[in-house]
Amino acid sequence: MQNFCGNTRREFIWQTGAGFTGVALAGMLEDSFFKANAAQPFNPLAPKKPHRDAKATSVIFLYMYGGPSHIDTFEYKPALNGMDGKTIDVKTFGRGGKKTSGRIVEPRWKFKQYGKSGKYVSDLFPNLAKHVDDISFIHSMTADSPIHGSAMIQMNTGKIQSGAPCMGSWVNYGLGSENANLPGFVVMLDPRGGPISGAKNWSSGYMPAQYEGTLFRSQGSPILDLSRRAEMSDPQQRRILDTLSQYNSEHALHNKDYSALNARVASYELAYRMQSSAPDATDISKETLKTQSLYGIDNPKTAVFGRQCLLARRLVERGVRFIQLYSGGAHNDDNWDAHGDLEKNHNLHAGETDLPIAGLLADLKQRGLLESTLIIWGGEFGRQPTAEYAKGSGRDHNAYGFTMWMAGGGIKGGTTVGCTDEIGNKAVEKPFHVKHLHATVLDRMGLDPERLTYFYGGLDQKLVGVEGAEPIKDIML
Amino acid sequence: MLLLRWSKLFLPVFFVLTLIGMFIPTQKVVQAEGNEKTSAAFFDKEVQPILQAHCLNCHGAEKKIKGGIDLTSREKLLKGGDNGDVVALSNPETSIMLDAIRHGERKMPPRGKLPQSQIDTLEKWIKMGVPYSINSSGVVKHHGPPKVDEEARKFWAFKPVNISTVPQVKNHAWVINPIDAFILAKLEENKMVPAATADKTTLLRRLYFNVTGLPPAPKEIESFLADNSPDAYEKRVDLLLNSNQYGENWARHWLDLVRYGETNSFERDGLKLNAWKYRDYVISSFNSDKPYNQFIKEQLAGDELEKTTRDSMVATAYYRLGIWDDEPADRELSYFDQLDDIVSTTGQAFLGLTIGCARCHDHKIDPFPQKDYYRFMAFFHGINSYGNGSASQRVVDGEIQELKGIVNSSRKPDEKKLRELEVKAQEYDRDINNINQKIGRIESDFQPKLPGGQIDDFKQDIHKPLLFEKHLGKLISKEEYEKWKELIKQREELKKTRPLIRETSLAVIEQGPKARDTFILVRGMPAAKGDKVDPGFPTVMVPPTTTDPKIPEPDAKARSSGRRKILADWIASPENPLTSRVMANRVWQFHFGRGIVRSSSNFGYMGTPPTHPELLDYLANQLVANDWKLKPLHRLILTSNAFKMSSKSVPIAVAKDPENDLLSHFDLRRLSAEELRDSILAVSGNLNLKKTNGPSIYPIIPREVLAGQSVPGSGWGKSTPTEAASRSIFVHIKRSLALPILQVFDSPDPDSPCPSRFTTTQPAQALALVNGDFASEQAKVLAEDVLKTVGNNSSNQVAETLRRVFQRHPNQDEIDRGIRFINDSIQKDSLNANEAFQRFCLLAFNLNEFIYLN
Repeated sequence: MQNFCGNTRREFIWQTGAGFTGVALAGMLEDSFFKANAAQPFNPLAPKKPHRDAKATSVIFLYMYGGPSHIDTFEYKPALNGMDGKTIDVKTFGRGGKKTSGRIVEPRWKFKQYGKSGKYVSDLFPNLAKHVDDISFIHSMTADSPIHGSAMIQMNTGKIQSGAPCMGSWVNYGLGSENANLPGFVVMLDPRGGPISGAKNWSSGYMPAQYEGTLFRSQGSPILDLSRRAEMSDPQQRRILDTLSQYNSEHALHNKDYSALNARVASYELAYRMQSSAPDATDISKETLKTQSLYGIDNPKTAVFGRQCLLARRLVERGVRFIQLYSGGAHNDDNWDAHGDLEKNHNLHAGETDLPIAGLLADLKQRGLLESTLIIWGGEFGRQPTAEYAKGSGRDHNAYGFTMWMAGGGIKGGTTVGCTDEIGNKAVEKPFHVKHLHATVLDRMGLDPERLTYFYGGLDQKLVGVEGAEPIKDIML
Repeated sequence: MLLLRWSKLFLPVFFVLTLIGMFIPTQKVVQAEGNEKTSAAFFDKEVQPILQAHCLNCHGAEKKIKGGIDLTSREKLLKGGDNGDVVALSNPETSIMLDAIRHGERKMPPRGKLPQSQIDTLEKWIKMGVPYSINSSGVVKHHGPPKVDEEARKFWAFKPVNISTVPQVKNHAWVINPIDAFILAKLEENKMVPAATADKTTLLRRLYFNVTGLPPAPKEIESFLADNSPDAYEKRVDLLLNSNQYGENWARHWLDLVRYGETNSFERDGLKLNAWKYRDYVISSFNSDKPYNQFIKEQLAGDELEKTTRDSMVATAYYRLGIWDDEPADRELSYFDQLDDIVSTTGQAFLGLTIGCARCHDHKIDPFPQKDYYRFMAFFHGINSYGNGSASQRVVDGEIQELKGIVNSSRKPDEKKLRELEVKAQEYDRDINNINQKIGRIESDFQPKLPGGQIDDFKQDIHKPLLFEKHLGKLISKEEYEKWKELIKQREELKKTRPLIRETSLAVIEQGPKARDTFILVRGMPAAKGDKVDPGFPTVMVPPTTTDPKIPEPDAKARSSGRRKILADWIASPENPLTSRVMANRVWQFHFGRGIVRSSSNFGYMGTPPTHPELLDYLANQLVANDWKLKPLHRLILTSNAFKMSSKSVPIAVAKDPENDLLSHFDLRRLSAEELRDSILAVSGNLNLKKTNGPSIYPIIPREVLAGQSVPGSGWGKSTPTEAASRSIFVHIKRSLALPILQVFDSPDPDSPCPSRFTTTQPAQALALVNGDFASEQAKVLAEDVLKTVGNNSSNQVAETLRRVFQRHPNQDEIDRGIRFINDSIQKDSLNANEAFQRFCLLAFNLNEFIYLN
């Protein structure tokens, strides 16, 4: 990235302050860091060599906030046919607490087989279904909490309590960013609102702020404070920066031991460049109408998520490591949290996302990007096979078993691993935990989940937890 | 983006070698007879803990010795491994072991490089010819997690604080007080000299920021420069230490350590009622120079002291500041998570120990068996789980502590006054109850009518107005809803008149005189109960023969078990080897930018050893000798010559001591987030110093940032512009919503304790200070204020602006450059004079000389 004017190594010392948090980072960064040219200050987002051969270089996490129902989307449960309304003995655990029986709500959508793999997909996803041969489904996901806040924190950070860095932070910490002019971890929210716990879902926790997710708006100025103020023209801003640089360079001359001062001078130029490079990344007018239509941007129903999916592709092209899109925001039926009317809720959210996701997969594939881009789809948990209330089709949360799927970089398409029991209540075959999913993502990105550590609070912290976790081999190429 | 921070641990190897070269005679292979004792001590004290923590699991285990390399004795080590010699005594530099620990061709430990200080130690050891201890007949027997034994007890941090002898130096003239002797002795030993003394204005600026977190005002600088009395500087030190701003600044350091936040973090991130009273308590404790041992006792056991006070009750909010899941999936686990948060925070903040790492198994690095964790936790095992609202509020008896008199003393309670107060308080209770009933009626009428899941949603306060509005005119009439809103408002108003006798605060609450039984939890799982344990101190810190501390049997009516007081007394004791060292080190850290022990919350094996161990012990002793008061310690440090050194290093310093371990000069540092925001307000003449306590403030957060919340804007109130211009320590800390200007400059994530801040340099900071609302608005304020002060002349305006941000007189070149900027802005960018000057003010906030401290 930048060569800050050939300074001494003083910045290390100077930046240290008392900072030493990165003890174990040393282990991880080893070569790239220790063999760094003496004149180059350490840039934590500089591209780093992965631990091993990387199958993917970017991640797009399509986050279905609220928890989509697995038995209404991708896990076909014919045993439920004809059981609607029957009360059965079943152990469930949701926001309504632990229950031992419940009234079956039969899946509200028909399933059909698609592709060479003959994968069953419900009518909620007619477009996405065409890509099943590129997708690997994990039907036996489990999480530790059936409550939105803690379950989301776990899906994003591996822990059910806040304070730890997110997967996007870990990936950037491990690999750095290939584009200095854009953030390495980008989050786009549903316009209806952020998720519960807000910024905790893209926090870098105990890691420095560079690793935090940057909120990207899909319209207008993408990043906070990125655009020049309305009253300021480009030449005017340039004049400020140039004069500033004169003052600051002179100050740096008087403080030769501290190259961080030069780094700050350089950071203003970087910021200036970001002002044009980030809006350029979000300018979809440069895309053909055909491409826009592929993502459903020409249809009001799919326009918002379609636009975000298209931006995700444009960010991947520009070397952004980790992009997370939220389908669903705020509370209640503004997201996938179908406690009341299941049909109304899922028709809405699947309807908004089916075509855009299909478009994203198709577009990445035709551009040869799918094999280096890892796509993840899913929410913080699934939903129960039984009804939550005496009346209606609403389902409560279910962390005992649910579906997530992955596609692209290093993923074996057309495969399915694990399953829940015959009514879809609990993972029974090859159960996987959130941390296995995380291990898989790290592994595909060329990072060893056991070696990607960060020393904090007396411990070598890991995304996959102290005890570690193996990647899900069944779905890996 | 770039970040500049990171530590000495990343120093490339050749620098390390330079350092080693300085300290160790390189050709020394065979030990001289007289040296045996010291080298054995070196092995015991420094080498063995590293071997135990990182090497012996694979290279000393009984069953399998990896690579045939056995490190358990000198003899075995010198025998070499399957592939030959491990250590080359004749040419240590070529030793395979050296290459491996440096992560050269080989990499040991394989899971991550050791911290540089430990690599240094092992290098030194190899070059000494790998001496083993004579005490243990040269054999290390143990493998696996570190054991608590005599060896462990000999680790420097667990040994009693030494009475340090002030060393002799050659350059007597440089020594103002003993601190200087300790610093200079090490420099002289390494043939180095201290940097020159900083000039008066630089020094004054440093002093102001370090003590108050604020820049000196121009007239404060002038009066200092004009004061030629010999104690001009010392007078200023005293003045600042006695200002309110001192406590406001130093309280922030403490709040970092105890992960202070005013909300619960995730899920609904609910408000912790009255948390700000704890913040005020910390500020006033620093300002009144409360003895540190008392400060400890109040926070840990303020409710169990012989004489509780309002403050000591408020102090126990310490236990309530952590993150809290309002809807845990597993209640029992959540309960233990909260205790874990308390154990970890207490260990790190007060003792510099990461004992929290022994929750699931024996500590992997330090000598804390898992049992020690649970014995430590048992002190807290009477504490009730945190709860929202009144569940964690306790009457602190603000007004009546004194009236109640003292049991068994001549001071009798003032019954009459107490009765009067009680009658008034009961009126208040009645009014509150009335309103609550009315509110309750409207809500309980509405809630059952809600469809499906909304019934549950309605239980949360933040959803109530939303749900009312959603069903307005259908499930609830407009009039009813208006009535509800009015009642809520009335209740808030009424609460402001709460009689002091009813004053409540966030505080610790125990279940009664009997604490819960404590069991070791196998792998940390609440369901897997192991042996029962009693409260006890970390084994390594007490003599082997010590029995568990006696907890006096509490009165049957007591509100708590009395356990925490026993712990507090032990931590706050002058005999505790860690407490005074850890605190003295923190005081040093915030004056010099780094502690004598850099890892200021980790004094364990993985911590960085003290660069000046004798000085650390000297300061620790000083702290205790001064009745645990901090101000005398500040004064000692601030008036030393060491503190007054220039940040300009002497020529050889950078090459010889790149980390400035020896403190040959002062290290330049960036202002902290709070210092920077407060400085911007201060130089604009806009800083509201009148706010010195009370509920937190809510500076404006841009809409884009609020959009990240599930209910945008919720939990973020409105402050008047004057209130919003108060110091940053009064900004509301909502865990899931940080004030951008503070966050971007590395204010810590309040979910976990933060012993030292990051210092990043990233473009987002430039964007905030050039394009952001806060900087632009303050630039206008600064421009207006300067205009008011010096009038229309642009030369005077530039000079005055620079004088304020530099906190010195600018030179003519600097002024001319500013005038040119303004003229060009007017002529070439078609701005009017006012606009052009405002731009210059914005520029001024971005000057490195403003943002950094020499």
